Amino acid sequence: MTAFHHDDPERAIKVHVTQGESHVSTDPNVVMTTVLGSCIAACIRDPQSGVGGMNHFLLPDSGDGRRDGDAVRYGAYAMEVLINDLLKRGARRERLEAKIFGGAKLFDGLSDVGASNAAFAERFLRDEGIPIVSSSTGGVSARRVEFWPASGRVRQRLVAVDNAPQDVRRPTPPPMPAVASGDVDLF
Amino acid sequence: MPQASSISVLVVDDQLTMRALIRNALQQIGFKDIREAPDGEEALKNLLAKPANLVISDFNMPKMDGLALLRAVRSHPPIRQTAFVMLTGRADRELVQRAVQFGVNNYCVKPFTVQGLKEKIEQVFGQLT
Repeated sequence: MTAFHHDDPERAIKVHVTQGESHVSTDPNVVMTTVLGSCIAACIRDPQSGVGGMNHFLLPDSGDGRRDGDAVRYGAYAMEVLINDLLKRGARRERLEAKIFGGAKLFDGLSDVGASNAAFAERFLRDEGIPIVSSSTGGVSARRVEFWPASGRVRQRLVAVDNAPQDVRRPTPPPMPAVASGDVDLF
Repeated sequence: MPQASSISVLVVDDQLTMRALIRNALQQIGFKDIREAPDGEEALKNLLAKPANLVISDFNMPKMDGLALLRAVRSHPPIRQTAFVMLTGRADRELVQRAVQFGVNNYCVKPFTVQGLKEKIEQVFGQLT
């Protein structure tokens, strides 16, 4: 029987997935991590084969806050890369299930970039027949997400914008509702 | 100059979303006769039943991938002249080389723009009206 060491920090192999990347693994010691603002991370896996992976993407803005066809093609490509990698590693398309995270509205503005990213991911997965077994999207906080691909377990920590890494912050962040760092949800 | 509306196209991709996006891009370019298939096997059956002028095919697909479809098209005399544009990922340089060996007419790197796809098709058919 395969030993699972995912809670043992000594054995954990951390793989950080940054924007534009995707990563797939079957190793029970691997934990994929990412930090999300308005970006989306899709954690998709085949529970039977234990193949899982995470991507991290942001639909590009056409310049006026809208997401046009080119943006959607970019998002579809980001999802396709992850799904193709899963299939190459032995996952079966009909068994895939997804958890999605991110899509926050970190800053006041005319457009809600995070909401359109989340809506894209939800629609894509629905159209492709991949069930979303859990999700945490929207809100006003950044998220630190850890995903164990072999087991499918996810740990999410909400992060106040002031404590978030620079890549999820805007240069001059407006006042934000106070959100304490350290809230943990398990998915 | 050929008219896009007079060119029949078969779009082959296992993702419904991507097929819809390609169809939408083709419609913006002016194509009207657009069919779809979810994998190479279905595409080949479709082409043998009713030939098309142009195939736009993904590479990674179940049952029969894009490269196998290309080889099959080139080996069936009734459809061997079909123009074939392969959609590839950024890292598929080796795939492109193999596709060229098997007679692909052009390739388009995902994520593509409408203008980018149009230019790739025009390199095969000439400027479209």
